[in-house]
Amino acid sequence: MDNLIAANLKQRPMRTLLSVVGVALGVILVVLTGGLARGMMRDSAQRQANVDAEIRFFPPGSFSTAANPLKLRTAYADAILHGVKPAPEDSDVEPKPPVGGVVAASPVGEWVQPTLGGIGFEVIDGIDYPSFCQTTPLRLVEGRAPADSGTDDGPYEAIIDRYYSEHNGPSDGQQVKVGSTIPVFGRQFTVVGIYEPSVLGRVKIPLATMQRFMGGADNCTFIMVRTEKPEMAGQVVANIQEYYPGNNIVLTRDLPALYSQGIRPLEVFLDVVIGLAVVISTLVIFLAMYTTIIERTREIGILKSLGASKGFIVMVIEKEAALISAFGVVFGFILSVIGKYGIEARTRLIIDLHPRWLLMAAIIGVAGGIIGALYPAFRAATLDPIEAISYE
Amino acid sequence: MNNVLETIDLKMVYHVGKVDVQALRGLNVKVATGEYVAIMGPSGCGKSTFLHVVGGMLKPTSGRVIIDGEDITEMGDAERTEVRRRKIGFVFQRFNLFPTLTAEGNLKLAERIYSNGRGGNVDRRHEALRLLGLEDKMHHKPLELSGGEQQRVAIARAIVNRPAILLADEPTGNLDSENSKVVLDMIRGLNEEFGQTIVMITHNPEAAARADRVIEMRDGHVVGTTEVV
Repeated sequence: MDNLIAANLKQRPMRTLLSVVGVALGVILVVLTGGLARGMMRDSAQRQANVDAEIRFFPPGSFSTAANPLKLRTAYADAILHGVKPAPEDSDVEPKPPVGGVVAASPVGEWVQPTLGGIGFEVIDGIDYPSFCQTTPLRLVEGRAPADSGTDDGPYEAIIDRYYSEHNGPSDGQQVKVGSTIPVFGRQFTVVGIYEPSVLGRVKIPLATMQRFMGGADNCTFIMVRTEKPEMAGQVVANIQEYYPGNNIVLTRDLPALYSQGIRPLEVFLDVVIGLAVVISTLVIFLAMYTTIIERTREIGILKSLGASKGFIVMVIEKEAALISAFGVVFGFILSVIGKYGIEARTRLIIDLHPRWLLMAAIIGVAGGIIGALYPAFRAATLDPIEAISYE
Repeated sequence: MNNVLETIDLKMVYHVGKVDVQALRGLNVKVATGEYVAIMGPSGCGKSTFLHVVGGMLKPTSGRVIIDGEDITEMGDAERTEVRRRKIGFVFQRFNLFPTLTAEGNLKLAERIYSNGRGGNVDRRHEALRLLGLEDKMHHKPLELSGGEQQRVAIARAIVNRPAILLADEPTGNLDSENSKVVLDMIRGLNEEFGQTIVMITHNPEAAARADRVIEMRDGHVVGTTEVV
């Protein structure tokens, strides 16, 4: 039977190849889409977690960047660190002590813009450089810190991380260097420094520059707060909530889980992609096997005349479908790996080829093929042997 | 002597639209173990229908069919298929070999069907091909064989599992006279040397003359039986 299956596949090489490619497409869809989603989220979560500050202070409402770019007063950073000492004439301002256990507080603005290539997006951080370095491990490896010109006409300065420098050059192999210009807010910013490690967004500009472009003077998106000791974070959060109630305060270590909750639509999207992949694999194999049994009606009649049971005939068709699907899965994996490195070399997208997704794609590819062949297989098994053997 | 094949008042009616066609009208046929029987008759007399019914590929309208002691009349399709697998070998006018498999591959497939996918016996395959004079053709595909050779491969495939009865439907119908003679000699040899029970339908009197007995059919009836001397 195995010789018959192999011989059948070789007899129609173009149809076999097209069926394999069809299954491979479903595999690629699952592997690359899932890998892209996971890769980008993992990278983003890593950079979000790569800070020394244990606490993140948000304004009331959603902590999502897209919801409130610059809506938090930067004065909170100073208030948390040094307390509030109102002037005599500010009788309506309540004095507040410094929050105990805090060693640094840094306001950060975040803005999301499309990448230059139009694929994906990038986060721009507006930072106060000195305080930012106190709350993260950021260190310049080339150049200097960015400065705000104080005017609307520039010049505009930015610093970038090593990954951005290596992956966004004007052509293959080239890098973005100190002195290059990059587009931010629709204007050309001069790269004045390159930093490591990757923290939050890959591009940082002075917070004052961002405030000028976004019209949020004296505002930021959130404030990072670093404590004397990590184990003090809980108490510090309690104190901040007591002194400045009504705001969102999140521990940095809880951010990945919170981001996961916020990307439920992404999970739904991935489920849809998987469903599409199943449909593609199933339909491709269904059509291939259906035309196969039409073409081989006489052969099926011969099998029946030899005493082949319905189960035997179903197994012949299903084995052939499973073999095509297996080839499609392997071919899909190969193309996915090539696609991953090709896409990552030409864009800032990150694609994770996680074994779980590879296994899921393999199961989808083979299962879809087996399911797709069921109807043609049972149709073949129930053919009238005399009509089948007489079929021209 | 035991009968390998027995039909009792066998009837087959085809419903073609609003018309009923009586292909078999009460056949009573017995074929003993080791007997070589030819069934002759003009086109449309019911020869092929008879072969399909006794081969388990068609359920009769009424009557009984007993193959090697098993009454297949009331069996379902799966059971008749199983009897066909175990006890019946078929040879067709159009050879009906798998074009993508070699001569040996065709026999191997028949063996795997017989054993429900478990495997075959290479010695038995080679012996069957040798009996039919095909030992140097076993790795050839059907397109690389002459008509006579293809039909001999088909015969080898039909007997490789040592069926109780070999049913041949016009085995020389697509062959020239020279190849027909070779094939008929081979069939005769299977019967004489190995006692293979054979029922062959033909419209060729010369082919029928090779058998032990000739049954003549007309309009779904048996109209005569002749012992061949």
